[in-house]
This record gives sequence, C-alpha cells and structure tokens, in this order.
Amino acid sequence: METGGFHGYRKLPNTTAGLKLSVSDMNMRQQVASSDHSAATGEENECTVREQDRFMPIANVIRIMRKILPPHAKISDDAKETIQECVSEYISFITGEANERCQREQRKTITAEDVLWAMSKLGFDDYIEPLTMYLHRYRELEGDRTSMRGEPLGKRTVEYATLGVATAFVPPPYHHHNGYFGAAMPMGTYVREAPPNTASSHHHHHHHHHHARGISNAHEPNARSI
Amino acid sequence: METNNQQQQQQGAQAQSGPYPVAGAGGSAGAGAGAPPPFQHLLQQQQQQLQMFWSYQRQEIEHVNDFKNHQLPLARIKKIMKADEDVRMISAEAPILFAKACELFILELTIRSWLHAEENKRRTLQKNDIAAAITRTDIFDFLVDIVPRDEIKDDAALVGATASGVPYYYPPIGQPAGMMIGRPAVDPATGVYVQPPSQAWQSVWQSAAEDASYGTGGAGAQRSLDGQS
Repeated sequence: METGGFHGYRKLPNTTAGLKLSVSDMNMRQQVASSDHSAATGEENECTVREQDRFMPIANVIRIMRKILPPHAKISDDAKETIQECVSEYISFITGEANERCQREQRKTITAEDVLWAMSKLGFDDYIEPLTMYLHRYRELEGDRTSMRGEPLGKRTVEYATLGVATAFVPPPYHHHNGYFGAAMPMGTYVREAPPNTASSHHHHHHHHHHARGISNAHEPNARSI
Repeated sequence: METNNQQQQQQGAQAQSGPYPVAGAGGSAGAGAGAPPPFQHLLQQQQQQLQMFWSYQRQEIEHVNDFKNHQLPLARIKKIMKADEDVRMISAEAPILFAKACELFILELTIRSWLHAEENKRRTLQKNDIAAAITRTDIFDFLVDIVPRDEIKDDAALVGATASGVPYYYPPIGQPAGMMIGRPAVDPATGVYVQPPSQAWQSVWQSAAEDASYGTGGAGAQRSLDGQS
C-alpha cells in the first residue's frame, strides 16, 4: 500500500477506471480523427465521469512512454498513474504562469506565445526551440485557422461558448493551487480546509517567482523574447 | 584526445551491452558503487542520451505535417487548463501547442526515470524511478508533491552518493543543447526520420550503435564539445 496522506487527497483511478479510460480513449480518437470541434462536442457528452477529466487518458500516456522505452521495458501501474498526475500538474503549472502574464498585461486570452513564454520563465528551455518550430509548422500548414483569426468576433463567440460549457464539467473543489499550497504544510497535517483562494493563489505565484529566479540564474537562459 | 576517449568509452559501453549502452554503464556503476570514476562515466552516458533525445525531437518536428491526430486530446487539455478558475479564455493554438509540449514532457520524464531503473538493473519502470528523476531534475521541482516522501527518501541516499561523486545538476545538459542548436541538421538523418512510426525512437536508439550516419552525428556533437573547450 502506498503511504503518505497526500495521496488520500488525490483519488487515483483504479483498474476499472483504467478500463473506462481505454474505452473513452477509443471513442475520443475516432472523434478527434474527424475534427477538433467534433471531438470537443463528443467529449462533452461523455463528461459524466469527473475523475477522468483531471488526467490525460492513460492509454495515450502509455503509448507516448513506450516510444522512448526499449521494447523489453515494463511499466508498473503506479508509474503509469504517476505520469498521468505529472502531466496534469505540468499543464496547470505552465497555464498558471501564462495566465498570470495575461492578467498583468490586461489580456483575456491565453495564446500560444504566452505558453512558450511561461515555459521559458519556468526553466523549460529545451522545449522552446522544438515547440516554436512546431507552432510555425502548424501555422504554415493550417492556413485556414489563420484566416479564421481574421474573424475574431465569430471565433471568440465559438471559443467562449465551448469553454463556457467545458467549465460546467470541471469539479469546483479541485484546485491545483491548493494541492501545491498544501506542500508548504507538514505532510502529516495535510487536510483540505479550503484555504482562501486569494491567499493560496498568492503563495503559489510567489513560489513560482522564486523558482523561476533560481532557474534563470543557474541556466543563463537564451533570449526570452518569443 | 578527448574525442577519442569519449568515442572509446561509448564504443566500449555499446560493445558490452549491445543495443543499450546504459545497461553496460549500469553494470559498471553497480560494480564500483563507491568509486567516482564509474559514476562520472554513467552520468556522461546519461547526458549524451538526453542530448540525442532533444536532437531527435527537433528533427522530427521539422517534418511534422499532421495536426489533426494529436497524441493527446485537445478537449481534455482545455479542461485541465480551465480547472484554474482564474483562466478565462484560451486561444485555439494553446491546447495544440500543449499537446506537443506534454508529449515532450512525458518523453523526457520517462527517459530520465528509465535511466534510474537501469541503474538499479531493473526492467520495470516503477514509481520510485519517477521520484528519482523528479528529485534529480531542477525543472521538475513542481512535481515533488506528487511522489510520496518515502519514495524521495529512498532516492536521498542515491543523491548523497551522487554528491560525493560528481554533482548532478541541469546546466551541463542545457549547455550542450545550446551548442546543438547552432549545428545544422544532418541531411541523411533528416531524410531517414521523416514521420517515423510509434516505435521510431526505439529503432533509432538501437540503430545508433550500428548506423554510421547516426554515429557521424554523435561525432559531430563531440567535435562541438571539443570546439567549446
């Protein structure tokens, strides 16, 4: 059995959940093949299980892991689940920093550039070049999206509606920031007492800055303008 | 001279372990658990593999042409982003970029974890391998809460061993990557690795020990290192 009170807070998907994820993953892959919008719509219909919304589908995660592992390597179930948690934490970590920049500049929409900026600030320097190339390739080959951007009103309406619906399925009690804030307390005394949102947010951001400065000093990062 | 030494070490490791140099290095580290030289050799091997990983990723992305079938579902990424109530609107490109970023993240975390499993002569990736990778890598500090305290304690001893032998920190890996950026992609390698299948990295990894062109790339990297020193 795994020890540590922290895991009592995060309910890990069990074997059955894994099976469900596999089925869901198959469905989503078919939908994704048709179009992104259809995928979003389809998944919204399936979002009766909140648990699985907090993690990437485990089948997708395992497939990516296997790309880098030798053929004879095996992956324990707890390793699979741990990577799932790490990916969600990574998305929230980067998103939090990107969103902070947006708010500072009084913008409402998180852009790809904000995401790249946040990664650079948080020390993921190796990721910047491949992702910048990826973004440029995307804009070259998916020109239709660029043209869609020429109609910001219609685009934003669709985007907002989709996000509005998506928000309804996100369980309010789940806060990555709270989880992160919990780290500051001794592990044995960790309990969810719903700390003030402002306080936890502030603490979270504070640590981010501290961490970023440390990373910057150690790495002598490349030019940060993207 | 340094180039020759590195090549000899690499070839020696490859000869010992066949397709997986690290396995040989792992054995070496196991044999001389307390001796700094073998551990330093192991660290060099690991850094070389991470450099090859990033170089390969750059080559792969140069030829990507399918943005419809992502490795990770965009809607799920959006929901995780929106879990933060402060997040208001997300441009369409952000989840697409995140899909690729998360793939790179999973790959890097997995390879770093696997290196730890091999150090312990195991073929099953376990949670404590991930804990070790998180502990050893500065940019993964934000993940320390996800692994239990006892997992980290197990690795603390190893970290101590590392400290006594050779300091292990991120900058040495970052700088070579910086040098790699300045180098043009190897044309033969570029041609060979266009849109590889899901097992592409493993086949590349295995052929690295045999493929002359890939070896040439490695030699080029070593020359860059010499150029710097």
